[in-house]
Amino acid sequence: MQLRYGLISVDDHVQEPPDLWTSRLSKSRWGERIPHLEHIDGGQRWIADGVTLLDSPARAAALMEDRNHEPKNWEEVSPAAYRPGDRLKAMDAAGVDYSVLYPTVAGAAGQNFARLKDPELELACVQAYNDWLIEEWAGASERFIPQCIVPIWPPEGAVAEIERAVAKGHRGVIFPAVPMDLRDVPHVAGPEYDPIWAACARLSVPLCLHAGASPKLQYQPYSGLAPALAQALDAVTKPVSSVFVLGLYLFSRVLLRHPKLRVVLAESALSWGMLYLEWADHQFDHDGLAREGYELTPSEMFRRQCYLNAWFDEIAPFEPYLGADHILWSTNFPLATSTWPQTQATIERCFHDVSPEKRDMVLWKNAASLYAL
Amino acid sequence: MEIKYGLISADSHAAFHRDDFTSRMSAEKWGERIPHVAEKREDGGRADGWSIYGLPPRGDVCNCPAVMGDPFPTWPKVWEEVPALAYDPKERLKALDGDRVDAEVLFPNPPGGSYYEYGDAEFELACVQAYNDVLADWRRASDRYLPLAALPYLSDPKIVAKEVERSVTNGHRGVNVAGKAPKGLPHIAAPHWYPLWDICQELNVPIHFHGSANLDTAASAKKWDGYSVRQAHSAATSTSAVTPAQIIPHFIFSGLTERFPRLKVVFAEAGIGGLNYVLAACDHEWETRRLWTEGLATRPSEAVRRQMYVNFWFEAEGIKLREAIGVDNLMWESDFPHVASYYPRSWHEIERVLQGVSAADRRKLLFQNALKVYDIEATVRRVEASSSSAAV
Repeated sequence: MQLRYGLISVDDHVQEPPDLWTSRLSKSRWGERIPHLEHIDGGQRWIADGVTLLDSPARAAALMEDRNHEPKNWEEVSPAAYRPGDRLKAMDAAGVDYSVLYPTVAGAAGQNFARLKDPELELACVQAYNDWLIEEWAGASERFIPQCIVPIWPPEGAVAEIERAVAKGHRGVIFPAVPMDLRDVPHVAGPEYDPIWAACARLSVPLCLHAGASPKLQYQPYSGLAPALAQALDAVTKPVSSVFVLGLYLFSRVLLRHPKLRVVLAESALSWGMLYLEWADHQFDHDGLAREGYELTPSEMFRRQCYLNAWFDEIAPFEPYLGADHILWSTNFPLATSTWPQTQATIERCFHDVSPEKRDMVLWKNAASLYAL
Repeated sequence: MEIKYGLISADSHAAFHRDDFTSRMSAEKWGERIPHVAEKREDGGRADGWSIYGLPPRGDVCNCPAVMGDPFPTWPKVWEEVPALAYDPKERLKALDGDRVDAEVLFPNPPGGSYYEYGDAEFELACVQAYNDVLADWRRASDRYLPLAALPYLSDPKIVAKEVERSVTNGHRGVNVAGKAPKGLPHIAAPHWYPLWDICQELNVPIHFHGSANLDTAASAKKWDGYSVRQAHSAATSTSAVTPAQIIPHFIFSGLTERFPRLKVVFAEAGIGGLNYVLAACDHEWETRRLWTEGLATRPSEAVRRQMYVNFWFEAEGIKLREAIGVDNLMWESDFPHVASYYPRSWHEIERVLQGVSAADRRKLLFQNALKVYDIEATVRRVEASSSSAAV
């Protein structure tokens, strides 16, 4: 590992190019069902098997002149969103050494192909993404940290793909936190999913639960709202919906059953974290859960296995309670919520009263250890 | 009102007498549909619940474990077990004195204040009026009760506003609102509800969202059939921490705080972290997206500090962030007589939670903010909101 700037961004998004799936999936087998761009109502959308994966060609508003508007056509998408070489230049401009990659068309939380009805098509789309990311991005620079997506069901299929992807060079596993909201599969808290968690622990790759896995986790905007305001509203209700996810993974004993599993709550933000954990501990006591076989309290489970991801929050108020070793930093490039192009100024604002040691932990050391750099 | 103890609970629950609805609603018109206590068919002996709209009785006859004694928590099975302390406003004053609480804001208890689910607007209005009349009688019994009005959602918004006005005239000091409008009705940010926000602003009565506020958000994440009863309770209640952070952004980004800048919004039993998050996250999006160009002139954190309030009860760590959250935006709550309540040892817990907090801040958190939010004139006899005099 080589650091020039002292920042590993643990949550950025690659933009999949229009030919990613059409060039990798068999046309004779899948025909028009392959994910592709379609012109609808004067703009382009990503469609697969009749399902809208994304209602614009890209999510790259931070690179638009007015970030209240996503690109309507592929021609408007800035190359820094989809070309590794241009992305590296943007990283240099922002002072980012390494970037941990999440998808866009495949869903920020890796949820979109799970919404397809055909598990075979789901797997083909997932594998094409995982192969492409290794070949085009990880192959272009070791400053990109690739993470695989997985088919949500059956678990042995997910495990097989995780093993295949990690062998190819993937460093983390992106899993939609609430698969039961996406398709008719069992509740994620159940033992059926244990092989997936066990595989992540065995292979020492973090399980990454990115915010926004299902619209049901958020209170949806009023339909009469202007799109720019609806997007801003969504950007606020999304990170904090990670409370539901954290509560689910803490109380359901997934973490107790898999003590070596490390869980990253990507795009979670930070300001709610300590206050939620205080409540979870309080409720744990009040409801007498220590007598129900939990060997750790919620905050102890968190401090053993979980990481929150900040990009606009102040660190000093929360670090003593959460632990500086459980907070990660990101730029969220190139989403509208990204700190780009004010990444360094934002860091200066958010890290006042934080010691240099702890600052390094949050900005790169924790991520370096998590991803074994 | 007289402040003797220096403590107001911004979230307690008025329990109902079995005759509260039957004595107020027309038997001729509504008959068996009137909310009343009836025997549930249950294995293991007699159990009472509330029958509403002629449906089989369900739920608890009264939710009052804080006054049921040991073993804690116990819920009354039948009406005869319900202590008068819960439902009799005169008796209950003794409990307030016993816990050294000056006044309490009254949220619902079974059979509750929501009657929209039967899809019958006329029935809903009749129940809501009876509900509001019961609590108006509490207010007549003592000015230490600060009741919140229930709403007839299915009626025309003008009738909704009228019921608020009638209730406030009768002594109500706020309105309890479902976070998500009942099925089939417009979104809470839609103009449909403007008359409601308008009358609340005009009358200077805060609106309230309680606990999960009936949001159906994350239903599958909160529930799992592998949880025991206690685990399910922990998982469901602690995630109410999200409620302010899911609702406040609608008020900000839908322009409601611009349109109703004097409307006050209170979040009860939803923790204080949601507000802390909203301050940082809304400002970040407002700045990054330059949302003043989209008609939002006010910086979100200014609107939040001006209009939004959250309640605390156990949050010793959270209270350390009071400066960041806003010392003027926090109120103490008891949740009496529900399971979260520390009755009759509320002050003992307050001493733990407010360790190291200045006397001036303590007064704000424990009663002064509530006096302001509920627009109450009070004679402060002795300010006991300091550790020495409170440790009895």
